[in-house]
Amino acid sequence: MYKYQSSKNSGAKSWILQRITGLALVVLMLGHYILMHYSPDSGHTYEAVLTRMQFSWYRIIDLLFVTLAMYHGLNGLWGIFRDYKLAPWLRISIISVLVILGVAFTAWAYNIIFSIPYVHNIALLL
Amino acid sequence: MKVTLSILRFDPEKDEKPYRKDYEIDVDPSFRILDCLDKVKWDIDGGLAYRRSCSHGICGSDAMMINGKNMLACQVLVHDFKNKYIKIDPIPSLPIIKDLIVDMESFFAKYDVVKPYLIAKSQPPAKERYQSIEDRAVIDEAVNCILCGACSASCPSLWTNDSYLGPAAMLKAYRFVFDSRDDAANERLDVVDSPDGLWRCHTIFNCVEVCPKEINITWHLSQLKKKCAMREF
Repeated sequence: MYKYQSSKNSGAKSWILQRITGLALVVLMLGHYILMHYSPDSGHTYEAVLTRMQFSWYRIIDLLFVTLAMYHGLNGLWGIFRDYKLAPWLRISIISVLVILGVAFTAWAYNIIFSIPYVHNIALLL
Repeated sequence: MKVTLSILRFDPEKDEKPYRKDYEIDVDPSFRILDCLDKVKWDIDGGLAYRRSCSHGICGSDAMMINGKNMLACQVLVHDFKNKYIKIDPIPSLPIIKDLIVDMESFFAKYDVVKPYLIAKSQPPAKERYQSIEDRAVIDEAVNCILCGACSASCPSLWTNDSYLGPAAMLKAYRFVFDSRDDAANERLDVVDSPDGLWRCHTIFNCVEVCPKEINITWHLSQLKKKCAMREF
């Protein structure tokens, strides 16, 4: 006999955030590709990255990119797992692993971005 | 003309697993698939089991998978098929009772969850609850559902998770949530706004493709999603 398990946890917030982050990622991805792969002077050397990172707005965009991509990707992955009928212990285990992974990778990325030094004489880099 | 029906047979009292049996019959191209099944049952194999009632696309009892697509056997003609080897299976994802008859109990239990009846909290008027033409237009498509189950049985989200409410039940939720005479929209939204409800719909459109009443079910579910999202923000 079918019994419906209603839940107080609405999926509405996660659904709308997935769409908002998806839209934001389209814009950020386009910017990323144009800047990193189609702009001839962007470069991928240490000096080129260091030069870009002297601009705080660039760091903010990178932090935003990492945060949104991590949320969007892991929330999407959770959505795929949630499509299957999972035992409660497995559901809790999976969401825990995803949250830990998300926090760890985001913290790692933040650490890398924040650890790039600001050079006082930017003219030396340009 | 000669047509071969390849029918999935299964009698739980005799068979260990379903098997396919071919029947070659002589039919008119204007025969419906239901007429072909009748011919097999009446002239060749009386043991063949399938549901039929009105035979005119209204009762929804003869939904089955024909050449890999869920449809009503009474709505498709033999000349609609180029290949005259026609495969007929019960609609997927529901347990087979016998041959083409599936157990619809879970389907109707899910339907029942969304409270598929008008809940009006105001005093009933002397005659009837009127609805404007504009208000009726909002639910015009949704009221056409005949509960054949073709949509739910075609939904991959339901194949992987049988707790998922499925498109038919949620279309019924839409039908009452957006009914201007109904006062229980929030009760119904509470039901569909849950992990085994609306959010398992990934707009795959299988339900739309198979609906014999040509209802754009996915669009209706997206309206419910918007409604639920608006409650949150």
